[in-house]
Amino acid sequence: MRKVIVIILAILFMIPIFWTVSSSLKSMNEIYRYPPTIFPQEISLEGYKNVIYESQFPRYVANTLFVAIVSTIITVFISVSLGYGLAKGTFKYKNFFLEMVTITLFITAQVIMVPLFVVIKQLGLIDSLWGLIIPAVFTPTASFTAYQYMKDLPNEFLESAQVDGANEWQIFFKIVLPMSRPLIAAISIFSFTWRWNDFVLPLIVINSGDKFTIQLALSALQGQYGIPWNEILAFSVLAIIPTLIIFLLFQNLFMKGLSAGGLKY
Amino acid sequence: MKKIDIVKNRFVFIVPSFVFHFLFYLLPIILMIILAFFSWDLLNSPSFVGLENFKGLIQDKWFWNSIVVTLKYTFFTLPIVFVTSLILGLLLQEENRFSKVMRIFFYWPYMIPMVAGGTMWKWLLSRDFGLVNHILNQLGFNPVSWLENPTLALLSVVIVQAWVLSGFMMMLYIVGLQAVPEEFYEAASIDGASNFQKFWFITLPLLRNTHISVITLTIANCFRNFTIAYIMTTGGPGYATTVAPLYIYQKAFTDFRIGYSSAGSIVILLISLVIAYVVSKVQERDLEGGKI
Repeated sequence: MRKVIVIILAILFMIPIFWTVSSSLKSMNEIYRYPPTIFPQEISLEGYKNVIYESQFPRYVANTLFVAIVSTIITVFISVSLGYGLAKGTFKYKNFFLEMVTITLFITAQVIMVPLFVVIKQLGLIDSLWGLIIPAVFTPTASFTAYQYMKDLPNEFLESAQVDGANEWQIFFKIVLPMSRPLIAAISIFSFTWRWNDFVLPLIVINSGDKFTIQLALSALQGQYGIPWNEILAFSVLAIIPTLIIFLLFQNLFMKGLSAGGLKY
Repeated sequence: MKKIDIVKNRFVFIVPSFVFHFLFYLLPIILMIILAFFSWDLLNSPSFVGLENFKGLIQDKWFWNSIVVTLKYTFFTLPIVFVTSLILGLLLQEENRFSKVMRIFFYWPYMIPMVAGGTMWKWLLSRDFGLVNHILNQLGFNPVSWLENPTLALLSVVIVQAWVLSGFMMMLYIVGLQAVPEEFYEAASIDGASNFQKFWFITLPLLRNTHISVITLTIANCFRNFTIAYIMTTGGPGYATTVAPLYIYQKAFTDFRIGYSSAGSIVILLISLVIAYVVSKVQERDLEGGKI
């Protein structure tokens, strides 16, 4: 009984995705047919072909990948370093800095996008892919997660390394980083998906079509007249595939992150 | 030796992060407060206008409308997410193969880029070609203009938001439910409690912290979200789905009223901080009261 209810609910949840995939495989004629066909009568890859060959799709993928990968690398490095400093440091006003990170959990780009735009503009990063990378590398969630992880890192390892005469940099690179593999994996995966999915920042920063990210291109496509829905839907399917792959590969990590409480935000 | 001391207190490790924090969180907030007192179109130099922007905001009925839309949007989304995620959590709390596989279907919408998610729903709810209207038609109802009718458009956006968040909140409930000690249920069984009584008197109260997390995160997500409305309705019809961040966006990037828009951002930021503060106080009170 329980299983039946769960399966029915799951089907309900999957309808939008099923309907998108199904429609994206229809020919132009079939997609505008009424009553609609639930499954494509004849599988047509027209929408996909048009998106991939006729638009700048490869360009958008390259842009998005560049942004996602570079910002993820920087995010990982600065977050792990921040977490370590906050959790194991002894400097003044440590709690103040920790509070600052916590407060930013409630402040998001959507609320401060106007002044954020001004800062990005003053830095000369408007209409540049770096304008999507640099403002996004500090994420409160990654920082907070790193802090929580580092707090649980046993002090004995650090102390014994100190006794052995290692300096702080050696401790960080040779002990802390290797011991943070699960943390690094988690931050990388989350950061990559956030950047891949991001829309607000590209929307305010990027103007030229050749610098569009996937999400921005998909959004812009809908504003144009005469773009057939099967192309838009094919584009949507292509835009969600990486997230599906990442999610399926790292499902356990997502679950673990949630149960650790660190990735709640 | 001095050099090593700087490193010793490990302050240096937080510096790179706080450089970005300062530039892209703190500085924008300071700038937002300053710009709120200026009139600026991005092209000419800003001119000081004092409280003019705030006066304008008070009289701007579309600004207040956008706040009301955001509140309505949050108010309708919250109970749906709360009930759906709790039910899903209860149904899928066990750690077996079936649960693990099924969780994916509910969690996945949270992973999907919202631009794509919004696009999918736009197609699903499309008046002439949408599946929803087709099903309604089969059941003998007339087709409905989901995104062209003010009330239904807001409802549509709410449903999409709930679709996105429920699976994520479900995971929080699963984690919370797994932490409830088995002994409580055993003791209740000995006392002859029914399943419903166990749920009502044990499960629900013990999940208090999870409830608070779910409520806070849902509110936070509703307040920051503008992508769903932007993609599905671009705020329309009229201003029916123009949520506050969307209004601020339009003022700044369509009308080029940067100062005015900054003043509006301050109001929205204050409202969301007040909500965050209230929720955290409730949480603290519970901790003091000794409740789990």
